[in-house]
Amino acid sequence: MSRFFGTLTVLLVFAAGVVKAQGEPRPLGGLPSLGEKLEPAQVDLGRQLFFDPRLSGDATISCATCHSPDHGWADGLALSRGYPGTRYFRNTPTVVNAALGRLMYWDGRLPASDLPTVVRDHISEAHFLQADGRLVIERMRQVPEYERQFNDAFGGEPTYGRILNSVAAFVSSLTSQGVPFDKFLAGDEAAISDEAKQGLELFKGKAGCIQCHDGAMLSDGKFHSLGLNANPEIFKDPLRHITFRRFFRTLGVPDYALMRQDAGLYCVTKVKHDRELVRTPTLREVSRTAPYMHDGQLPTLEAVVSFYNSGGGPRASKDERLKPLGLSEDEQSALVEFLKTLSGKPIEVTRPKLPAYQLRKLGDN
Amino acid sequence: MVSASLRVIHSLPCLLLSRNLLVVCTAVCLLTSAGCGKKDATTAGSSEKTATATSQVTDSSSNETTKGSVTPAESATAESATTETTASNASAENPSVEETALLSAPPLGPLPEVPVPADNPITQAKVDLGRILFFDNRLSGDAGTSCASCHDPRLGWGDGQAISRGYAGTQHWRNSQTTVNSAFFSKLFWAGEVPSLEAQAKSAITGNLAGNGDTVMIEERLALIPEYVTRFKEAFGVSEPTFDLVLKAIASFERVEMISRDSPFDGYLAGDIDALSDDAKKGLALFKGKARCIACHNGPLMSDEDYHFLNLPENKLFEKDPLRQVALRYQHYIRGVPEEVYRNADSDLGLYYTTKQESDRGRFRTPSLRYLEYTAPYMHNGVFGTVEDVIEFYDQGGGDDPSQSPLIKPLNLTEDEKFELAEFLYSLSGSEIRIQTPKLPEYQAVFD
Repeated sequence: MSRFFGTLTVLLVFAAGVVKAQGEPRPLGGLPSLGEKLEPAQVDLGRQLFFDPRLSGDATISCATCHSPDHGWADGLALSRGYPGTRYFRNTPTVVNAALGRLMYWDGRLPASDLPTVVRDHISEAHFLQADGRLVIERMRQVPEYERQFNDAFGGEPTYGRILNSVAAFVSSLTSQGVPFDKFLAGDEAAISDEAKQGLELFKGKAGCIQCHDGAMLSDGKFHSLGLNANPEIFKDPLRHITFRRFFRTLGVPDYALMRQDAGLYCVTKVKHDRELVRTPTLREVSRTAPYMHDGQLPTLEAVVSFYNSGGGPRASKDERLKPLGLSEDEQSALVEFLKTLSGKPIEVTRPKLPAYQLRKLGDN
Repeated sequence: MVSASLRVIHSLPCLLLSRNLLVVCTAVCLLTSAGCGKKDATTAGSSEKTATATSQVTDSSSNETTKGSVTPAESATAESATTETTASNASAENPSVEETALLSAPPLGPLPEVPVPADNPITQAKVDLGRILFFDNRLSGDAGTSCASCHDPRLGWGDGQAISRGYAGTQHWRNSQTTVNSAFFSKLFWAGEVPSLEAQAKSAITGNLAGNGDTVMIEERLALIPEYVTRFKEAFGVSEPTFDLVLKAIASFERVEMISRDSPFDGYLAGDIDALSDDAKKGLALFKGKARCIACHNGPLMSDEDYHFLNLPENKLFEKDPLRQVALRYQHYIRGVPEEVYRNADSDLGLYYTTKQESDRGRFRTPSLRYLEYTAPYMHNGVFGTVEDVIEFYDQGGGDDPSQSPLIKPLNLTEDEKFELAEFLYSLSGSEIRIQTPKLPEYQAVFD
């Protein structure tokens, strides 16, 4: 990680005097490279599976339904749609750079180092794809083109592990490319505008963003409350409230039926002071992934900056460091300009043509 | 040990019984007679016992097991059928398997009271709740399928398909059976996989090719439907609906409103000799005699609830529909068969999935024949579209697979006899059970 340290950055941070008892933020840095080498055949197969609705119980939605390349590999919705017959109660994060983070989900309940398990969770969960993995295997086996691709990628027939591994390989391959801020860090002064540079200084200084959005991923990987009240849509819409209740109930939160706030990290740890704390998301690709926050209640980057400028939300759980910032309109604009430099070129893929089911010779399985 | 002479004796109590009952003139009394029970242990001694019981017939309650019940009309016809059997086999010294089966078959009779499990007594509130739940697609994963999707009142409470449609994105691998009179079975599904209506509903709701429902999601859905909360409270005294109680309510509904006991044959059993046409009466005699149907289709339910391999033709859908192939392999996979069996899977293995015994391959639980007018196509794979097709299959006696049930042998029925048998089979269906589709209660937000 030392290669991402910029001495100048460190000095600036200290000079700004924003570092409090919570520990010193790590300097910002260029996008890390993936630790592992991906097998192209697995990535190619995973790309197809990512777009294939046959990974869902009723074969109507795929990973790409909520993680769409048309919406920065998220869905552009405040609250995710969920499996048919359900509606979800949190915002869909992008999967771009997912493999480079520390934890997954807003409550951090799974590690990013084990993406196949994250894929498995998505396939099997009642609010996501609600599919039995064994059924998915048999569907794959009914597609000769997939049988061939699994053989190429793994040297054998479709198995659940191979399905998960190939989707995970494809997700891992989705990393930001040509990010202006990374070019700037690498010495290209012209890669970002002067206004964005001013925003960077605010980010690290007066606005204090870096206290949580630090390091190469612009996230401390930790959990905080911004003091936001829950998005009221969750409780206005019985389907969202149902999914909310079921989710916290299955994770063992005792008061799930009475809760009017997302339990956040508490649903994992069951430690009282973890209530309402959610994982700091990366800011990379942030300009493509509106709306914002774990329940999508802030529609634009401007609204997010304005929210922080006013000192965060009203709830008692709020992180004590959130205070009114006193940013001018220009400063707020500059901050937004900086945030926009964190997105790379759009990652576009041609939606794969999905291979069709074919008949097999009965009894030759 | 069973000889022709014993068979003659066997018919005696029935004769005595019928004469007594003609005097007593009772209609639908369910007389329990241990003597005419499942075992062919009816001896001369039991005639006395039967006669005693007959004299008390007006007092006999209807809640006893009726495996061995005899009614006036049934006993009257049993006479001729038995006589015919006796005549046709009189020369046999050692009875064959099928003869033994005929002799030991519990007699046909009116349906008894519906068995009700001790932990789920029937109340009207449960029945009313179960009726709504039966039609509520929110019990399925994507809220697109209800029980009634495959058990449609307009289609005999089956789905009219050879093989059921299954959950969205899938195709099922078996025929959807009628839920009518399913309350009398102690084993549900084609291979008797579960022991109760409650367990059947659970499997159907959560099965990935059926309802694909998540039990906790279902509970939470119901919790946000105020009318359900109220109804569960009324029916079960609980503050929140639970999945277990969903099953109990649906089972209660089935036990009360999906009972068919008003068939012409039931009328005949109750003493209305004219309820059956002459052809149907001949068909009944064939059913119990030459055609040997009663060997398996016996007792009031017309099912021995045992498992048999009929050596049926395969349904060609499995060669034509990729999703049926998926379903068939999936069934093999999830039931945990050895890999070699999975690799060669080309047909429904029936009871084998449960027991893993080679001898159980392709054996399925005998279905009831009641209500069959409304429940075509027939067989576990829906391979026969009409009752006549079924009769033709049995008449030909199956195929040459050595593991085929020994009860299946060529019958040499004449065309007239096939017609008569069909007439009898059609007499087993009463009026169609149709109910008004209930209005489904709506979700409501619970917080202000």
